[in-house]
Amino acid sequence: MGLLEARALPEGGFPARSGEPFRSDATAWGILSLLVFDPHHSLLGSARDRLAKAQRSDGSVSIAMDHTDAYWPTALSVLAWNGSPLHESHRHRGVQFLLETTGTQFKKEADSPTTHDPSIPGWSWIAGTHSWTEPTAVAVIALRATGHGQHDRVREAIRMMLDRQLPHGGWNYGNTLVFGRELHPMPESTGAALVGLAGQVEPGTVARSLDYLQGEVDRLRTPISLGWSLLGLAAWDLWPSNGAALVERCLANQVRYGEYDTSALCLLFLGALAGETETKNTLFLHSSRIQAPAVPAQ
Amino acid sequence: MADHVDPKLAGGITRRDLLLAGAGGLLLASGLLLVPKRYFRMPQQAQSFVTKVAHYQLDIADAITRGMRELGVAPEELKGKRILLKPNLVETASGAPHINTHPLVLRGSIEAFLRLGASAVLVAEGPGHRRDTLAVYEESGLADVLTEDRIRFHDLNYITGYELPNAGRQSSMRTLTFPALFKEVDWIVSVAKMKTHHWTGATLSMKNLFGVMPGIYYGWPKNVLHHAGIENSILDINATLKPHFAIVDGIVGMQGDGPIMGDPKHVGVLVMGRNLPAVDATCCRIMGIDPYKLSYLERADNWLGPIGEGSIEQRGEAIATVRTNFELIDTIPAQQGIRLT
Repeated sequence: MGLLEARALPEGGFPARSGEPFRSDATAWGILSLLVFDPHHSLLGSARDRLAKAQRSDGSVSIAMDHTDAYWPTALSVLAWNGSPLHESHRHRGVQFLLETTGTQFKKEADSPTTHDPSIPGWSWIAGTHSWTEPTAVAVIALRATGHGQHDRVREAIRMMLDRQLPHGGWNYGNTLVFGRELHPMPESTGAALVGLAGQVEPGTVARSLDYLQGEVDRLRTPISLGWSLLGLAAWDLWPSNGAALVERCLANQVRYGEYDTSALCLLFLGALAGETETKNTLFLHSSRIQAPAVPAQ
Repeated sequence: MADHVDPKLAGGITRRDLLLAGAGGLLLASGLLLVPKRYFRMPQQAQSFVTKVAHYQLDIADAITRGMRELGVAPEELKGKRILLKPNLVETASGAPHINTHPLVLRGSIEAFLRLGASAVLVAEGPGHRRDTLAVYEESGLADVLTEDRIRFHDLNYITGYELPNAGRQSSMRTLTFPALFKEVDWIVSVAKMKTHHWTGATLSMKNLFGVMPGIYYGWPKNVLHHAGIENSILDINATLKPHFAIVDGIVGMQGDGPIMGDPKHVGVLVMGRNLPAVDATCCRIMGIDPYKLSYLERADNWLGPIGEGSIEQRGEAIATVRTNFELIDTIPAQQGIRLT
């Protein structure tokens, strides 16, 4: 947390790396980390304000003002403003943007080399492109956290994520089979999807994915994979008993890789604390206990 | 004097002649439209170098140094220069090291550039499938090698970018956003893998440059480039970035359902050169693929570089001595009808 605090910008918010200018994704992840560490942290207000300045009139928050198509930080920003009465209007506009935006969708042609159903709406990283696993998962997390868990868009997105689940378990960026070959799962995509689906589908529906992630987590050494994996397992009450040791090893690897960027560092921090009930309540980790199943077990 | 004179008798042109001429012109014009643009371009010349390297434990640095010298890369040209090596790191899977550029090819490339006078070499990549670049860096084995060699690795997916006008103008993208890091280097070197590809037929040094486009602006996968057209984007990136050199790891390549799910294919070669289309065309011929059958190479011909066999001065091993046909899958459209006869 000291490292994050040291990176705080004078005008509020956080850069991707020390010495760099404001970045929306880094700031949103920084706010989520501050919230878990201390919900009254002095940096929270200015960081949220700075993020609000990055919001466009349509409610979106892009990675940079000159790259408005790259609107994927919007869902993260909604999470970052959530719970702050001073930023209610920003949160609301962000939610509206998410509800009105989809990735490109189309009817699958009979001879398509891909297996997934491209007609199910989700969210894309960038405007005008297809829906993919992680932006859809994060949008679902944001909409559920802000009370829109029963919205049709969330129900559709859950169906989309289940459609993209690999037959042998896990998710990757969002393709399943191409030319008849099942592609490889990836821990970071799997973790994000499992957070989005927790409490919305029966455990049996994602059992293979949970098995995959539990089998992978011990070997993970890098912050994005480990952070999302710990969050995904925590959402299903499966945070590993050696989780703290895995996080310590990952932090020590900065000697090898250089200092982690702010988003990766915060993701790891949240994953490290995700096993604690208080963190779950503060964050977006809904219980895996079914509240209102959107999609029945398959 | 008659009021009306037969134009034919007067040596003029009848209405019928005009119509026929117009139709002929149209036919000629439409016929010309069918002729590939490359026939109207000034022929270009380039060199490529092929060397046999049977396995990764051999002296790869020496092989690359020899190749660069053969290609006229002089120490004076590299003295004090900062070199950025861009490997092909896509994703990792147990038992499939042939997905990615082998770490020892990177080590050999680094050593070769330093030997020839470069002041610094750095390695940078922005994988298209994995959000976690460091995981691919680690699991590919590259982290072990670069840590030992004290070479810095840069994750291109999260680096703030700068825009350049799209010099290729093949897609509708008006600008391309490259990592700001590129402003700090003198040479960009594509250190690619020799693989078949299920969308483009083959992925070599030109296609490898998809990985320089930051994920924060192009997504995971880099779907903006797919929507703009994969071939269009390959050409746009290469035309705008103007990479300086290419080294293709063909010691063990990938055949069949590349770039991820294919099988290993031992070829035992490294291919290199200053001109990427020429290097890729040479690789294609080694793989038993007709480079003119790959849309992006055919379109690059005599624009970004030559791909004709007669236009590429072949140094080192002759193609015929190292050619080994890569398996092509006849149910994959991009691999249909591309076999070199």
